[in-house]
Amino acid sequence: MSLSIYGQRLDSRLLIGSALYPSPAIMKQAILASGSQVVTLSLKRQNPNEQSGQQIWRYLQEIITEVDGQLLPNTAGCKTAKEAVTLAKMSREIFQTDWLKLEVIGDDYNLQPDPIELLIAAEQLIKDGFKVLPYCTDDLVLCQRLYDLGCEVIMPWASPIGTGKGLMNPYNLATIRLRLPHATLILDAGIGKPSDACLALEMGYDGVLLNSAIALADNPVLMAKAFGQALQAGEQGYVAGIMAQRQTAHPSTPTLDTPFWHQNN
Amino acid sequence: MNIHINGQAYKLTHENPVSVTAALALYFTEPQQSTFAVALNSDFIGKDDYDQTMLKHGDSLDVLQPIQGG
Repeated sequence: MSLSIYGQRLDSRLLIGSALYPSPAIMKQAILASGSQVVTLSLKRQNPNEQSGQQIWRYLQEIITEVDGQLLPNTAGCKTAKEAVTLAKMSREIFQTDWLKLEVIGDDYNLQPDPIELLIAAEQLIKDGFKVLPYCTDDLVLCQRLYDLGCEVIMPWASPIGTGKGLMNPYNLATIRLRLPHATLILDAGIGKPSDACLALEMGYDGVLLNSAIALADNPVLMAKAFGQALQAGEQGYVAGIMAQRQTAHPSTPTLDTPFWHQNN
Repeated sequence: MNIHINGQAYKLTHENPVSVTAALALYFTEPQQSTFAVALNSDFIGKDDYDQTMLKHGDSLDVLQPIQGG
């Protein structure tokens, strides 16, 4: 069972971030252990006399080659559609990919996406030939508008970036899944533990994108494996068909010929 | 003529316009060894346009490089 993003088949349903790891070596081990084939990265101003960014870039290129994967540049830090469009074009030149994790932040406190600027940016970028993966809130109408614009992949948040709070509003997320049955839905941001990822897949989501939950674990490599297994469990649970909840208890053990049973008069 | 590169002011001694290529030589010791992309006054400038794009007083370049991201 594989994930398809803009027509590209991927063996893993995990999209993984490359930031916050204790070291580049642990980052590489964790990404490889996760099984992910999509790695996010970004562009920033850097000291021209330091080569750290250049080294990280070479390292990420090696990883992507090793996993036969795909880079997913983001527009982190952008607060307007214009900034995001400019950064997207700069990323495309460097990374040679049309894929883009579109982030346009509207509030510094909880890093909540700005839905207005996000729509403006998405429309422009699609016209410019980008394959846009927008990071957005769990607002059904916003997700619908992004899908109608041509975003085949929609990435609603589970909770604010880096909080690890998991799925804040399962009802909203389930409704998005129900109302956008043909969209590729990736749950992005706020995932804290493997069971969060499992739950997303059990709900019918196509994948998850996360960074902090693995990078900030005591043992990132082991946590990466755990997420990979949680995603497989969630996917298989969804495909297998989850039983309907019932209001009252039903005995699992057959009641016929129950020992010590007496007819009450 | 004054320009800014990544927020840092650069005072150019001559008054003639300089190209993006020339400005980048002020910023990097070896531009050809680095991976970067450029925006001029917040608009993307492709590599093919560095030589032809001339800077004027007060222009601002952003020179961005790959970094880890989530």
